[in-house]
Amino acid sequence: MSTLTAQRTTAAPAAPGRSPKRRAPKRRLRGEAKLHPVVWVFVFAVMGFSLIPFYWLVNTSLKQGVSLSKGELFPSQPTFENYLAVFQNPEFLLALRNSVIIAVVTTTVALVFASFAAYALARLKMRRKAMILTLILSVTTFPAIAIAAPMFSIWREIGLYDTLLGLIIPKLTFALPLAIYTLTSFFKEIPRELEESAYMDGATPFTAFRKVILPLAVPGLATTAILVFISVWNEFLLAVTLTTSPEARPVPVAIAFFSGTSEFDQPLGTISAASVIITVPLVILVLVCQKRIVSGMTAGAVKG
Amino acid sequence: MDLIRPSSPLQEDTAPSQAVARTTALHGSSRRRPRAVIAVAAAAMAAGLLLSGCGGGAATPGAENAAAADPALAAGASGSINICGGKDASGIYKGTAEAFTTASGKVTAKYTEIGATTDEARTQAVQRLEGKSTECDIFLTDVIWTSEFASQGWLLDQTKLVEANMDRLIPSTVETAKYEDKYWASPFFTNAGLVYYQKDKVAKPETWQQLYAEAAKAPGNSFVYQGKQYEGLTVNFLEMLYSAGGEVLDGQGEVAIDSPETREVLDFMSQGLEDGSAERAVLTYNEDPARLAYESGNYGYQRNWPHVYRLLNATPMAGTFGVAPLPAWEGGKASGVLGGWNLAISAHSTNQAGAVAFIDFATAPDWQKHVAMDFSQAPVNEAAYSEAAVLAKMPFATELLASVKGAKPRPISPVYPQISQAIYKNVYAVLSGAASTEDAVKSMAEEIRTAKASF
Amino acid sequence: MAIKSLSPGRGVNSRGVNGRDAAERRAAIRMTAPSLVLMALVAAVPIGYALWLSLHQYSVRTAGLSRFVGLENYITALSGPHWWAAFGQTFLFAGLSVSLELVLGTAMALLLNLAFKGRALLRTVVLLPYAVVTVVSAITWETMFAPNLGLVTNVLTTLGLPGGDVVWLGEHGYAMAVIVLADVWKTTPFAALIILAGLQVISAETYEAAELDGASKWQAFAHITLPLLRPAIVLAAIFRTMDALRVFDLPFVLTRGANGTESMSMLAYTQLRENRLVGEGSALSILTFLTVMAVSVVYIRFAGGNIREVAKEEQ
Repeated sequence: MSTLTAQRTTAAPAAPGRSPKRRAPKRRLRGEAKLHPVVWVFVFAVMGFSLIPFYWLVNTSLKQGVSLSKGELFPSQPTFENYLAVFQNPEFLLALRNSVIIAVVTTTVALVFASFAAYALARLKMRRKAMILTLILSVTTFPAIAIAAPMFSIWREIGLYDTLLGLIIPKLTFALPLAIYTLTSFFKEIPRELEESAYMDGATPFTAFRKVILPLAVPGLATTAILVFISVWNEFLLAVTLTTSPEARPVPVAIAFFSGTSEFDQPLGTISAASVIITVPLVILVLVCQKRIVSGMTAGAVKG
Repeated sequence: MDLIRPSSPLQEDTAPSQAVARTTALHGSSRRRPRAVIAVAAAAMAAGLLLSGCGGGAATPGAENAAAADPALAAGASGSINICGGKDASGIYKGTAEAFTTASGKVTAKYTEIGATTDEARTQAVQRLEGKSTECDIFLTDVIWTSEFASQGWLLDQTKLVEANMDRLIPSTVETAKYEDKYWASPFFTNAGLVYYQKDKVAKPETWQQLYAEAAKAPGNSFVYQGKQYEGLTVNFLEMLYSAGGEVLDGQGEVAIDSPETREVLDFMSQGLEDGSAERAVLTYNEDPARLAYESGNYGYQRNWPHVYRLLNATPMAGTFGVAPLPAWEGGKASGVLGGWNLAISAHSTNQAGAVAFIDFATAPDWQKHVAMDFSQAPVNEAAYSEAAVLAKMPFATELLASVKGAKPRPISPVYPQISQAIYKNVYAVLSGAASTEDAVKSMAEEIRTAKASF
Repeated sequence: MAIKSLSPGRGVNSRGVNGRDAAERRAAIRMTAPSLVLMALVAAVPIGYALWLSLHQYSVRTAGLSRFVGLENYITALSGPHWWAAFGQTFLFAGLSVSLELVLGTAMALLLNLAFKGRALLRTVVLLPYAVVTVVSAITWETMFAPNLGLVTNVLTTLGLPGGDVVWLGEHGYAMAVIVLADVWKTTPFAALIILAGLQVISAETYEAAELDGASKWQAFAHITLPLLRPAIVLAAIFRTMDALRVFDLPFVLTRGANGTESMSMLAYTQLRENRLVGEGSALSILTFLTVMAVSVVYIRFAGGNIREVAKEEQ
């Protein structure tokens, strides 16, 4: 959605690397400027703020027993027992599988649905476009609590309760607004002339979309995929309401089900270890795709 | 309702023709697509509304005319049963189900976790019971749920079953399964608060006043309990209120919390937080943080449940702490609040015989010993506490039995959750200094009245 | 799915358009239909159901017994203190967290936009919190502020700074501060990314012109950057405000609503799921929904423009 704003100030072609006009600012960015010391302070402050909780999470995951009840800044007897415990838990592994299936399927389907809708909204003549956009946006204002309980009873009736599909459908629904908004703004960045020539050759809107727009929108699709993936991976309330068995339960819920030795026991060490484990794939995603995310979100925004 | 039902696309008998009809209608109007889209959406929405709205309308039978479970059923039991409850932390639920399956030879029992926390398990149980689901034959019910579940007609009347086993059960635990003179569940295991104390620093407390005075003597002596805004705070508060002679509802079920005893206890508790007898951080503690804090060795006393014994023994603290029943109020008597879990048979169970057989097994004296020995839970069978094998694993069994026998139930009401909220929110307001005792007591009484009126 | 059941037909536009227009409109409808139908089914049906429930009163005593009470549940909610307390607390939370996120997000975006060695690292690090499961982040922050054993309390005590002996989650004000901090930590990256996108649109020439005019860096920021960033900031504000107004997991895990942190969603949750007051609880969730909706409408009407912008062409 970020680049909804872009078209105001830029008319430059979006396709990265395809326009010679992009060279100037790119070179400017490459030249590594010397930062003012004060700026460095800010840089380190921001990094510290972002990383300290991670440090604490990892720190906690390496502690066991008495160490947990002390606020040691460094674990005095670091142990990987918690991680072993997590990986020896068959229900957690099952949950990991469920989460991967749910997130991948939802993301894929959301991209297909949303790219069609976004293309129509960005490019095609359509009545009541503003109303449709507002309606789509309004889906993001629905409180999950109001949705979860009724959905539980409906799902039970039609047999979708406690199935992966039963989770994919609502998660897909709530991922769509974000995906449609993001993609709409990407599509708007793509120069119109390219389609025009396709139309001249007698293409239908579908063909123009498939042959011209989609290939150019790959960075946008990647960004959208990542945003959707993260939001689907993290969602909790629907997941806990609509599943009951380990066969359908995704990771955030499985973590909440980690049991200590009694009903009151909150095994902080194991929970932290599991949190680290499920965060790692997303961290890798961010590490690998950092350029993609940033450039994707700002695609076409670089004015020559 | 009858008019609505057939139009639901999910009724198997009518579904195919309905679906065909709708598809045809769609194609017929396909020339005007926007409207078709809206029509599909509207039709679907209407269908969903009607479908899910079917719960309303006619009333279903409540407690008065619930079916009863027959103890004789157990003999001919066969098939499989499903037991549903919260997370099986100590392994007792799965363990019992497996042991029963082996012992029975005819009935297979399986345990399904339906919630991570007690609250979540209750929500999930309620959803299933309201939806008349046949998924679960037995629900593990917290002692405070009995009235609510029974009043809704969700449970099978277990009066005959409980009366047959009455002689071997601890009376106070049986009381937790009672609603309107009938029994709706069988007690499985019970629970009562205990005080853990550091033998080298502080003395075993006889009264709450003594405990607080001792705790105030040195910073390393203070008391930790569960003071977060949640059900546990209600329990911690009621333990003192009961021993001080106060009550929430009187014998006639009228609100009796607006009393001098309530004021006295509230003042005592908030005074304790101010002078340092009690650690101020208890305002953020539930059971586990309280235990973790105590394990740091910086405190003298801890109020917690029996399971903490095993955990403390696994730390370097082993041998340095003592376990005592909850102390008495000065000039009053010792009392506690009863916890624990019961076994209730769903009114929609399709294998009542199997469920009865399971309950017979789980509450029998023989298995109750294992409840203590294998899972560190408090048996509901009194004889189990004096077994040598149990005492070896649970040296404080005698203290525990005393606590269980002296414990009183929490207010018995179908709107218990609301009553408990009225208690813990107002107690918390006093402890955190957000409200005066006087205001809190008044609004506590008022909110409990409102809660009772909603019933 | 639904797309197939809608066979192609003629355009519906009566304003005398050529064939391509009609084909476009047809295609547009076919392309948006799957998403719209899905959203109508999966999002609107439950909301409609909740609306219907909110107009009834359900017996807590007898399962299934209900009567139509019209707006009574709404009147009860709006005339009692609980809704308004939660309303005020939620807006306080949203106001604090969103404004911090926007300020920090803008600052972060400016840093992320700088060309320097280590920019890739900075960008990666800054994005990390956004990927963390909310429940996990809540637990992490809870333990960081835990008295005696938390990182923050320990460091403050060691350094002799005030706050080390405060029971953060047990005090009015402090508890809200922790919740706001946890939210800011996790979602500022999101705001920063949107603002960064806006920032990259501003051309270097604009600054060069300003420099020629002798403007200081600060003047350039205040008079060029900020005004041009406005649409991006507003967009970030819309998404973040709507999320913040629906906040649930953070107070649920951190305080259970104690110390003035109960949010609208939490209140609805308590009534619906803990107290089984189906009518009252549904009314509260509809009120929450309407509140969030109203705020988004206000945003779009007075500050937005993105939606109109997107929709403006090709009517």
